[in-house]
Amino acid sequence: MKPLRLLALFIIPMGLIIAAVPQNKTKPYKLTAEQLLGEVNTRTQYLTPDAVADMIIKKDPTLRLIDVRSQDEFEKFNLQGAINIPVTDLLSEKYADILNQDGKMNVFYSNGTLTANEAWMVTRQLGYNNNFVLEGGLNYWFDAILNPNKPASTSPDEEFAKYDFRKSAGAALGGGSAIQPSQDQSTVSAKPAITAGIKKKKAAGGC
Amino acid sequence: MGPLSVNELISENTNLFLAFIIGIGFGFVLEQSGFSSSRKLAGVFYGYDTVVLKVFFTAAITAMLGLLFFSLFGWIDLSMVYVNPTYLTSAIVGGIIMGAGFIMGGYCPGTSFCGASIGKLDAFVFIGGLFLGVFIFGIGYPIWDGMYLAKFLGSPKISTTLGLTDGVFAILLIMVALAMFWVAEWAEKKFPREEY
Repeated sequence: MKPLRLLALFIIPMGLIIAAVPQNKTKPYKLTAEQLLGEVNTRTQYLTPDAVADMIIKKDPTLRLIDVRSQDEFEKFNLQGAINIPVTDLLSEKYADILNQDGKMNVFYSNGTLTANEAWMVTRQLGYNNNFVLEGGLNYWFDAILNPNKPASTSPDEEFAKYDFRKSAGAALGGGSAIQPSQDQSTVSAKPAITAGIKKKKAAGGC
Repeated sequence: MGPLSVNELISENTNLFLAFIIGIGFGFVLEQSGFSSSRKLAGVFYGYDTVVLKVFFTAAITAMLGLLFFSLFGWIDLSMVYVNPTYLTSAIVGGIIMGAGFIMGGYCPGTSFCGASIGKLDAFVFIGGLFLGVFIFGIGYPIWDGMYLAKFLGSPKISTTLGLTDGVFAILLIMVALAMFWVAEWAEKKFPREEY
């Protein structure tokens, strides 16, 4: 048989099969259940409100706050500079570049931590890095940053430093009252180092 | 599962090592198929030998079917496979320069090294010209960087532009390729050349 016929006999059926079957668009999970449980147990995904407030005030360009609540809730109240990705639309193509990247620290937040954690778990299982969760959510944010409680007079200095920071941060971010900065704020909350993500590797080729 | 290196199933070094092995295999097959002869390569432009067209199109179709089936079986995530970005103006201008060089020199960049490996002098001259071209491009970059980066289209796929699924586009491409092979074999009979 002529080689051309032989080739046609092989590739045409293959082409017909591949044209007939639905395209596989499922994304395999990148983490095993054990790995994910390990990360959940060490609570690596959490950022404290103090750390986040510090980054907002310093206008840290690597911070990206992502409100995973519904659009209604987002419009009623949101944190300064936050963008809205409702958890129901998390896997939408248009958000893939935001969630799967190496340059920024994405911080999910919701009212509590439940919804934000759901978003974090899904993105983490897809193998995305640099996604975090605001510890305690907006509820704790209100308590800790916008209406901090004055520590007892017997508390250690660190507690007062924390209180001063929260009070000034709260005022700067639209809550609380007067500011009385007395301490160097940078000692109060250490910014977690951004984890070095997998650089999107590119391979080039040609003739 | 795949791509292996992007998903860190193999290290960057293993990846390069595999590329080295595959590269040797690729070069060997090219040489054995006669791709180290500039007359054979140039034949595709005159119609007397169309093996270049047939080999490269067969390779493209094999790779295409392989990737689509791998994706179907869940062995590779096609969204993570790197697609060369399209700069339309550079693609057209570069294509013309490459084509002209191919007709005049009788080699494409890969096959010139194939020819050089068995000591063909014209292949060495071609490689010299290749590096000269690279050098001139680098030196003169400020002159043509506007054109080089013009009309950036991202990484579009023909199938998505036409609104087809990858599979339907694949069968269309297979039909087009087979038609081209048929025309090519007809051309070989029409414009035969005895010695080359």
